[in-house]
Amino acid sequence: MTATPLMPRRHGSAWRRAALAAAWTFGIAAVGFGVAFLLDAQGGAGLATAVRVATGLTCLATASHGMFLQADQLSAWRTTAVFLSAAVGGPALAEVAARLGGAAVGLPLVLLGSGTSVWWTWRSFRRAPQLRGLATSLAATLGALACVWFLNRHGRPLEATGLLGVTGMAVGCAAGLAVIRRVLSYPSGIAAVARAAVDEAVRMRAALVLLVLLVVMVPTLPLILDIDERLEYRVQFLLSWALGGTGLILALLTILMSCGSICGDIDSFRIHMTLTKPLPRWQYVLGKWLGIMAFNLLLVALAGVGTYTFTRLLARTTATDPEDRDAVDRQVLTARVAREPSPKNPSEYEAAIAEATARLERDEPDYFARNRAAVRQQVRFDFRWQWHTVSPDMVSTFVFHDLAEAKRRGVPLQLQLKPRVNNVDVDLAEVRFALWLNGRPWPVRDGDHQDQVLASNAAHVIELPAEEVDDEGRLEITIANRNLVPAGETRPTAISFSPGDGMRLYFRAGGFTANFLRCLLVMWLKLGLVAAAAVAAATMLGFPTAVLLSLVVYATAAGSGFLRDAQGEYNVVADTPLAAVLERLSAAADLAGQARLYEAWRMLLGFVGDAVLAVVPAFSDYDAVSQLATGLAISTSTVAACCGWLGLLYPLVFGLIGWAALARRDLLPSST
Amino acid sequence: MSGDSPSGEGIDIKCVGLTKTFRDFWMRPRVRAVEGVDLEIRRGEVFGLLGPNGSGKSTTIKMLLGLLAPTRGRIAVLGRSPRDVATKKHVGYLPEESYLYRFLSARETLDYYGRLFRMPARMRRQRVDKLLEMVGLDAVEHRPVGEFSKGMQRRVGLAQSLINDPQLLILDEPTSGMDPVAARQIKNLIAELGSRGKTVLLCTHQLSDVEDLCGRMAIMYGGRVQAAGTCDELLARSDRTSIETPLLPVGVVDEVRGVLGRHGIDEITIEQPRRRLESLFLEVVEQARAAGTHTSGARSGGPMAAFLQEHATESESAVEAITDADASPRDKAAPAVDTNLIDSLTRR
Repeated sequence: MTATPLMPRRHGSAWRRAALAAAWTFGIAAVGFGVAFLLDAQGGAGLATAVRVATGLTCLATASHGMFLQADQLSAWRTTAVFLSAAVGGPALAEVAARLGGAAVGLPLVLLGSGTSVWWTWRSFRRAPQLRGLATSLAATLGALACVWFLNRHGRPLEATGLLGVTGMAVGCAAGLAVIRRVLSYPSGIAAVARAAVDEAVRMRAALVLLVLLVVMVPTLPLILDIDERLEYRVQFLLSWALGGTGLILALLTILMSCGSICGDIDSFRIHMTLTKPLPRWQYVLGKWLGIMAFNLLLVALAGVGTYTFTRLLARTTATDPEDRDAVDRQVLTARVAREPSPKNPSEYEAAIAEATARLERDEPDYFARNRAAVRQQVRFDFRWQWHTVSPDMVSTFVFHDLAEAKRRGVPLQLQLKPRVNNVDVDLAEVRFALWLNGRPWPVRDGDHQDQVLASNAAHVIELPAEEVDDEGRLEITIANRNLVPAGETRPTAISFSPGDGMRLYFRAGGFTANFLRCLLVMWLKLGLVAAAAVAAATMLGFPTAVLLSLVVYATAAGSGFLRDAQGEYNVVADTPLAAVLERLSAAADLAGQARLYEAWRMLLGFVGDAVLAVVPAFSDYDAVSQLATGLAISTSTVAACCGWLGLLYPLVFGLIGWAALARRDLLPSST
Repeated sequence: MSGDSPSGEGIDIKCVGLTKTFRDFWMRPRVRAVEGVDLEIRRGEVFGLLGPNGSGKSTTIKMLLGLLAPTRGRIAVLGRSPRDVATKKHVGYLPEESYLYRFLSARETLDYYGRLFRMPARMRRQRVDKLLEMVGLDAVEHRPVGEFSKGMQRRVGLAQSLINDPQLLILDEPTSGMDPVAARQIKNLIAELGSRGKTVLLCTHQLSDVEDLCGRMAIMYGGRVQAAGTCDELLARSDRTSIETPLLPVGVVDEVRGVLGRHGIDEITIEQPRRRLESLFLEVVEQARAAGTHTSGARSGGPMAAFLQEHATESESAVEAITDADASPRDKAAPAVDTNLIDSLTRR
């Protein structure tokens, strides 16, 4: 039996042809553009332009000819001629039509030209399927760039930018994928499984839908934002929705890819072909996880590049007023560190709390004995509110520590206040107070200590000079209540700042770009946990059940902050875990004794909630997106903790579960 | 089947009391697919495992490959546990259907399986080239496997089972879905591999395949081995004699009848034998090919890949050097049989 090849082998010559075409193209470009440069220098601008256009066209013709030469059984020049007449002729014709009849007439022509060149390339490469995708992608990129050029020329820069963004993301996606496949072609079992998982993920239809959604969502978000809204809010909205949406879409995609890949292998018996090769089962599990993570890395990078570019573009548009512009630059597109106030004399403060607690224990022993930890917590909470409240004709002092870096950098401090006035039940009531920084009145104008006048229940930022910080990095802020006496009252109202977001001090500690990269890293690490959970679920369950279980894990991790709050009144406060269990049991018994059975049952259900929250990590502990959108620096320790827990430890645990399940089970579809 | 090689030397597959019971979700026994199967397959023999659908052949094979865990009984494949990675380096497996990634091309598919053996890129390319040529898919190597016909997918499956030049080849229905030309090529290939010292376990419904190829066989039914032995033992009819000659004139036939009649033999059938359909088919296709008729499907397979013809060749040593750096020189030539393990299985 002798083999007569139908087609000549092309492996060697294909690369040679491509290299030759590239060399010709670069050579022509170098000579042509060089000549044009010299002509320009000699004052022949018109001639230089003509030479540039001719060089561009010749380069395009040479590159196209080289490309079509790769497809066998083809007259490369004829094919190139048709391709060029569509790819270059379309825009040229469109330009003429647009000058005669407006952009609306030209646009269909440029689209038609681009579409035709793409179709022609696809058709021409039908006998060389291994190069078909690449050649068609190149033609599509060229077509998209022609459209961008046309839109930009005819007064539609926003659409041009959007299309350029989509094109850039698509090209980036293809290039990134090629790099990943190249890296994973290393001769090892893990890399082979990982690469197959990547290839599979690329071809998964559900994945494609979500991917298209991602590529379309990021560039279109800036277009749908209300142009009358403050730019600060628009930028924040874009950041949080683009990255939040990306996180959600990629988590769903990760679950579908992981479960689809492993359950698909088991259900279609492909795993029989793989695991009869010398591949330990742990390598199979690890390979799948690595493949999904490599693909996720690409997608996170893709969404990151898109979001970053469009955020920067949006931030360059006109702001509503100078204050808005300042807020965008100094409070959003930055990386700030937040400091919380502490009492001027902590030991006195603690002593006062201890005394109040002791008094309560003495006066109301029954109330105190019921749950000591809860009472202590309540006393502390009350004291904190009291301390954050500035009574009429009183002063309160708040001390901020660790500000040496701000002093060293010389960056202004941002005091964020959200004042509330007691007894006045309206928003935006006037709040009037005076400030002292480290005991000195501030601000002083013309020898007068100026009062601050703010609206209540709204967040305000007051910039303070960094030089007021003392050498130990301390800044004491003293606030005096200067509220006027409201009508019908005898005294002015008290001012309070809710503990937490009511009073904070910020300073710039880094750039937006580095913060953005840290945010992307945290997003990717979270996907590592989701992928590991889904891989583990898929090794022991069928596709629908595995997807469901993975979704539960993701929803628990993503909603852990909400779940903690939802436990609400059924939360118990105790000093030790054992005391918490006993407290919960006794509370449930009390409720049952009062015939409040439903509440007793919910109290017991709290054990389930606690167990779930203890097992599944909380994404809210690493809320990088909201930190980024509010201009807060994502600290290195947060990233390191996220890396350790979500990127390594939890995936390791889930991986071990997956490996143990796969090692023990018969490799048959789960329904069998 | 009782073992007739007491020392355990040269035995590639040995299983004793192999039983598999499938359980449901609540761990209740549902189906006993294999029950108390004893098998012993020697190095270099082509062994046929026969049986109707549901007789437990595939389940037995999957246990031999470590894909299913036996409920009871013991297995040694190439002297080790079938789950051992070192065992799998020397085993090739063609499942009853080709379970391939539909989106990978034939070349990418073989490359994927080559990488699972950690073969370096150059050796992988050489082997893939040779195997694609051997199974006649070199002209369509870049088409996705999902677009292939069932027979073409089987060819890819066969090629992947040979990529590591295995010592033990387990073939489940290798000729199903293949045209007679390809089926004949595969049978030739199996015979060739057997003659070169490879061990082949052939599991099939095609009784003629077993008859043509196998030295020994076992017939399963209801999860048990019902009959086992060499083909001669099982197929020879000691009470009949047949004589085949060139075409005889009518007179000679009558004379033969007379002679036999004189010896008291009345039960005589004399007929002109028909050609086998297989040989007619092969001849027609060969003529069409010689006339240069165009086809867009798979072509005839090429010659056997060179690396399969070599015995303990340089290339095999190279794989060994990569995959098993610390193995002894004896290991490099062929997987060693753990005689102690075999003995312990035999003694049970």
